[in-house]
Amino acid sequence: MLLDRTQSPSFQAIHEVRLPAVQSTTLANGLPVHLVSVHQQPVMRIECIFDAGTWYENGQAGAAFFAMKMLAEGTAGHSSAQISEYFDRYGAFLELNAGPDRCSVVVYCLTRHLADVLPMVKEMLTEPVFPEKEFEDLRNITLQNLRVNLEKNAYVAGVLFRENLFGKAHPYGRTQRPEVVEQITRTDIAGHFDRTIRNRPFQVLLAGHVTEAEVALVDHYFGSMTFAGAVTDTEALPERTTSQPVILAEKAESLQSSIRMGRRLFTRDHPDFFPMLVTNELLGGYFGSRLMKNIREEKGFTYGISSNLISFRHEGYFLIGTDVKKEFTQQTLDETRKEIRRLQTELVPADELETVKNFMAGEFVGSLNTPFEIADRYKLILLDGLPTDFLTNYVANIRSVSAETIAQMATRYLTETDLIEVVVGGK
Amino acid sequence: MIHYEQFTLDNGLRVYVHEDASTPIAAVNILYNVGSRDEDPQRTGFAHLFEHLMFGGSKHIPSYDEPLQRVGGENNAFTSPDITNYYITLPAANIETAFWLESDRMLSLSFDPQVLEVQQKVVIEEFNQRYLNQPYGDAWLKLRPLAYQQHPYRWATIGKDISHIAEATLDDVKSFFFRYYLPNNAILVVAGNVTVEQVKQLCAKWFAPIPAGKPYLRSLPKEPVQTEARRLETSAAVPLNALYKAYHMPGRYEPGFQAADLLSDMLGRSKSSRLYQTLVRDTPLFNNLSAYITASLDPGLLVIQGTLNEGVTLEEANAAVEAVVNELIDQPVPDDELAKVKNQAESTLAFSEVELLNRAMNLAFAANAGDAELVNTEAEKIQAVTPDTIQAMARQVLRPENCSTLFYRAETTTA
Repeated sequence: MLLDRTQSPSFQAIHEVRLPAVQSTTLANGLPVHLVSVHQQPVMRIECIFDAGTWYENGQAGAAFFAMKMLAEGTAGHSSAQISEYFDRYGAFLELNAGPDRCSVVVYCLTRHLADVLPMVKEMLTEPVFPEKEFEDLRNITLQNLRVNLEKNAYVAGVLFRENLFGKAHPYGRTQRPEVVEQITRTDIAGHFDRTIRNRPFQVLLAGHVTEAEVALVDHYFGSMTFAGAVTDTEALPERTTSQPVILAEKAESLQSSIRMGRRLFTRDHPDFFPMLVTNELLGGYFGSRLMKNIREEKGFTYGISSNLISFRHEGYFLIGTDVKKEFTQQTLDETRKEIRRLQTELVPADELETVKNFMAGEFVGSLNTPFEIADRYKLILLDGLPTDFLTNYVANIRSVSAETIAQMATRYLTETDLIEVVVGGK
Repeated sequence: MIHYEQFTLDNGLRVYVHEDASTPIAAVNILYNVGSRDEDPQRTGFAHLFEHLMFGGSKHIPSYDEPLQRVGGENNAFTSPDITNYYITLPAANIETAFWLESDRMLSLSFDPQVLEVQQKVVIEEFNQRYLNQPYGDAWLKLRPLAYQQHPYRWATIGKDISHIAEATLDDVKSFFFRYYLPNNAILVVAGNVTVEQVKQLCAKWFAPIPAGKPYLRSLPKEPVQTEARRLETSAAVPLNALYKAYHMPGRYEPGFQAADLLSDMLGRSKSSRLYQTLVRDTPLFNNLSAYITASLDPGLLVIQGTLNEGVTLEEANAAVEAVVNELIDQPVPDDELAKVKNQAESTLAFSEVELLNRAMNLAFAANAGDAELVNTEAEKIQAVTPDTIQAMARQVLRPENCSTLFYRAETTTA
């Protein structure tokens, strides 16, 4: 039989997701330990996660970032150089993260080195000394990096967008500004640590080749720590101000403009989250999206354009972003608005909707491929308080979105006058 | 350890299967044995432009992406100086779609002039976005031709000059395709929730009918041994001075590669490395400073790269880096320092095998280099490195005459 290459092979739509369970236990001192156990390579990740992100900074911008970075810069028992040397010696990789909501100490290591790594993690969490010289070095490095970043249109556009969206004083709106970095003191940073990390409860998430033996190790090192209550004193949020509808930062020498458009939206627990997720995907969420087809594949204005729903613990937002050849900036803005209007006024054809749903289902399954990815997904349930069936119902929730709902979503949430615009470059 | 089975089709396509029933997905990786090193010096950037064209429709299938998205699959590709690599991940149940799509574009592209025209623009914007509109984005465009004077690694994968991309014709596209995009110039790796038997059947159905082409025999000019230190200065409106130093070193699968790799780790992999401890922490001449390798198949580069703190001259910084480098030539490395970088390398290797797609790619790279088993001997080779081999490698690679140095000066602006 001659092969007919014009006919696509038959396929199955994904309807359900097999997910290794997360096992949670609580140590005698109240410390929650979660385990995502997938036994393949002999490696693991341990995360210690605190409510200590910018949300908990009490107005002191930069405190969370510096407090976390300084944990590896000196403890009662070890110098900065000794701490880096210590992790490197075991081939362990340390990450110190400060996010909008949470801060975390993360170590990737061979499972057999967990026992070596844990005492140092504990020392960093309990006995950091925030040495002055290391702090000044870090401040200097941060300032210099910031100066390089502020030369990048995409970085500047992101800063202007978030400041404009939430307000410069809002914990989600403020960014690392040189004047803030110059002024922050060692006392501010140690203060943030004392208030949000020292003796505060945290969550331990183990993923990879991990068993009860690793939980026992965590218990051995962390089980005797004592905790005060959770952080409760968060700053009063600033008055919600109206965003400027259009911001243009001219950069005469730029070849490209960096464009950001978007608005405040909701978090993952909102009833419209899944319908809006599908709407976003159609518009700019994947390579086959309408914006990508129009702006890149038909017109060649850009290397890429995308849209996203971003969800923090307390607020979320919608964002469209691209870097385009400067002379096509206005045309890109116009075409983007045109694509949004099309979503509002024309029902999405059935085959396009089916494609996007199948793609999202496949992408979801494909994003659960390593123990670390699975653990990251479970964080939504463990930390953001989403219902336990959030992941298991994910595909079904996407499948249930209709073309009519998408038009409603686009009309309800993507009204032209609600979307702010930031351009760095020119138009 | 990555287990696999191998077979070869009559048309020369080499196929590797890595079974992993623990995942619901499959990865399909096709490596074409062509990279920017194979380009005509007058038509650079072509292998990469071509990678874009591979998504513009094939002989029987007008759109590549849409049918794949429809079955829940994702794909991407990259071009390096050595190879062009295409990959798909999708639900394992739908793996035949990947065979259908990949075999049709191996058979023939659609050669649509409209696709060429748009992708030329897209690649020019990629050039602008990554190389011209970024601080220091053009450093490698300057560094390559300094370090390589004969070998085609002297131009970047994106191309030597944007005009080469703008001037590409459909005839260029066709001749490139029929010269390199052949079953006998490719490696197919299928990994994940599949069986060898299933892959054999699918290969017989979709790939076996594609005719073999004239074998591509690579014959590239060898880069002569560098005998004199090279220096280039450039400047741009960047905030800080930057220093780049590139030393020739063995290719990815040549003897001595692991020793040179570990040498670069000691110099500047992490915060406990020599360069960081000495010149970022103790005497802070640099704001950041690191060392890494290009890991190319033909002899590659060990690169030291950093941005300077304000008020530090490039001359002063360069001399300080050379002093740290010279210690590795003059003195044997302590055992515990070697043990440290070996542990880092062992750990990196283990983590690189966590992701299914990475396992598939690692297998494809090794097979393309001549022996898939190379993927499983890496750990042994790392462990076999001794302080003596490190010092011998330091003497071979870190000689001043083997180095190309780029001074990237910050132009003072009034802003």
